[in-house]
Amino acid sequence: MDLLHNLALGLSVAVSLQNLMYALLGCMVGTLIGVLPGIGPVATIAMLLPITFHLPPTASLIMLAGIYYGAQYGGSTTSILVNLPGEASSVVTCLDGYQMARNGRAGAALSISAVGSFFAGTVGTILIVLFAEPLTLMAQKFGPADYCSLMALGLIAAIVLASGSVTKAIAMVFLGLLFGLVGTDVNTGAQRYTFDIPELSDGIDFAPIAMGLFGIAEIVVNLERHLTRTGAIKVSSLWPTSDEIRRAIPAVLRGTTLGSILGVLPGGGPTLGAFSAYTLEKKLSKTPQMFGKGAVEGVASPEAANNAAAQTSFIPMLTLGIPSNAVMALMVGAMIIQGIQPGPEVMTKKPDLFWGMIVSMWIGNAMLVIINLPMIGMWVKLLTVPYRFLAPAILLFCCIGAYSLQNSTFHVMQVAVFGVLGYIFVRLGCEGAPFLLGLVLGPQMEEYFRRAMLLSRGDPMVFLERPISLGLLIATAALLVLMALPSVKKAREEAFQEEG
Amino acid sequence: MNASGVFAGVLAMVGGNDSVNRYLSKDFLSGLMFVGFGAAALYFGQKLAIGTAVRMGPGYVPRMLSLILLGLGILICVLALINGGEEVEKPKWKPITLVTIGIVCFALLLERAGLFPALVVLILISSLAGEEFKLFEVIGNIVVLSILCIVVFKLGLGMNISILEGVW
Repeated sequence: MDLLHNLALGLSVAVSLQNLMYALLGCMVGTLIGVLPGIGPVATIAMLLPITFHLPPTASLIMLAGIYYGAQYGGSTTSILVNLPGEASSVVTCLDGYQMARNGRAGAALSISAVGSFFAGTVGTILIVLFAEPLTLMAQKFGPADYCSLMALGLIAAIVLASGSVTKAIAMVFLGLLFGLVGTDVNTGAQRYTFDIPELSDGIDFAPIAMGLFGIAEIVVNLERHLTRTGAIKVSSLWPTSDEIRRAIPAVLRGTTLGSILGVLPGGGPTLGAFSAYTLEKKLSKTPQMFGKGAVEGVASPEAANNAAAQTSFIPMLTLGIPSNAVMALMVGAMIIQGIQPGPEVMTKKPDLFWGMIVSMWIGNAMLVIINLPMIGMWVKLLTVPYRFLAPAILLFCCIGAYSLQNSTFHVMQVAVFGVLGYIFVRLGCEGAPFLLGLVLGPQMEEYFRRAMLLSRGDPMVFLERPISLGLLIATAALLVLMALPSVKKAREEAFQEEG
Repeated sequence: MNASGVFAGVLAMVGGNDSVNRYLSKDFLSGLMFVGFGAAALYFGQKLAIGTAVRMGPGYVPRMLSLILLGLGILICVLALINGGEEVEKPKWKPITLVTIGIVCFALLLERAGLFPALVVLILISSLAGEEFKLFEVIGNIVVLSILCIVVFKLGLGMNISILEGVW
């Protein structure tokens, strides 16, 4: 199959009226939650997972992807106009974006960030197209032992690049893996940790856990903090001056490159991309003293980077079935709900879904520029909705969503239980993302582990004898050793300090 | 949250005043949590057959994972006692308690009384969890969300939920 043929197939799927509608819906919802602080893409996608059950697979994945990258666009709007990051990935945009707005350049900042994001999104989409086939072909050569090692690498890398304590994050992965075991053992049919509750014999459903950990816990933490709102800065002209354009173009290019690379890495993604891009711009700039006072580069580069990273983080998920961050873990969950096992088979068995989704991402990015720029006033108005209206609404949608999974109130109870657990995690400084990754990969990893051990007649050396597996395990070990080195440890802590 | 909070309190009493901080550090408490989960997984998984490395029983992987988790938990606890670390923030009980009660009430009411009563109770209770509570606003919120839910879930997605049990 050649590339053009695939793209044509993708285009024919993506421009069907139904899929266009869901792409638009996803982008609108994404922009909305990007604008609203206190609810992020992880919580939203978790909340909508049960609803996607009622949709065709392609439409549901197109919509969920739209929410993810739509949130990157929406988050920048509030960063620039009210100095409130709607999304973690737009925190750096506040630094210079809000200052630009105060200098009367709000419109320019908004349009540079939207157009830069669109450019980055386009490049990111092209990269997915280019890398999808070779990576998929490579993955098809993997045996069970190789897969097991690949997942180990993915999990460890996700921890190293995510913030916080490494030991705690590793423990969270194992806790997630343990929760993933609940249910009927595939090989023997034995009940594990089901406590004679029939609802648990199919395993703990993924959606209520994600809703509890990310939705409910987030709401509770926000209620404790009581968010305050400030007035938005008025937007005058959207056109940047020629000087601003001249400075923005190279910054966008650099941000796109950096973001694309960081997005592919496990644990990477928009937030890491944006922070690194800002640091890079400041280092490269001839006038670093301008940063924090409304430097165009400080808006253009991180905005491009976060969108590029949002796109390229789909690459490992779509080709290898390995999620690189919490949102991708949810996308894996969405595919499993639809009966699709993520991995290299998706491209060969469901080419229409695979290519349709990729093309729709590009269309979605184009929609977002239109949604964001001319309709900016409407989004800003939404900011005036107080959190005390939003919190009950989000809770209600979580509850109904959980119920609709299997028309059972048992799932609603699960949301409550995992909400409490999620709150404990937040208070103890334990990250939810490694838990979620462990939970998603757990059942598969056990399968591969058992199969590999069966094939090798119980000899664990199989993981070291196969060259692919060995290479992956060496990389995993190298990452862990690197983390233990005092100099790396210090640099990493400093990097996250800046972020927090 | 309940368990860890109570635990923290007990520890504070046992540990005496000068060592309170270390035992109340986020790291130490999270280590305890991991130890707790690891031990529970071992205890409840003890009946599962382990099997051999070639033909693993259902208990092999769970046993392995719970032992690793137990080990990591102990390691985190020990490291926390040596290094100290950030003290856990005092939890505010109101939001988490009310939100949890709200969800539980929703679950209990949904099939017995219908979506509308469940929704009203959930919104009322969760609105109480916030800083401000204005009855007028909450009623407005209930009206808007009820209409939205009926349109989206009942009419739009055609979900099989009764709005008022026995009536619609």
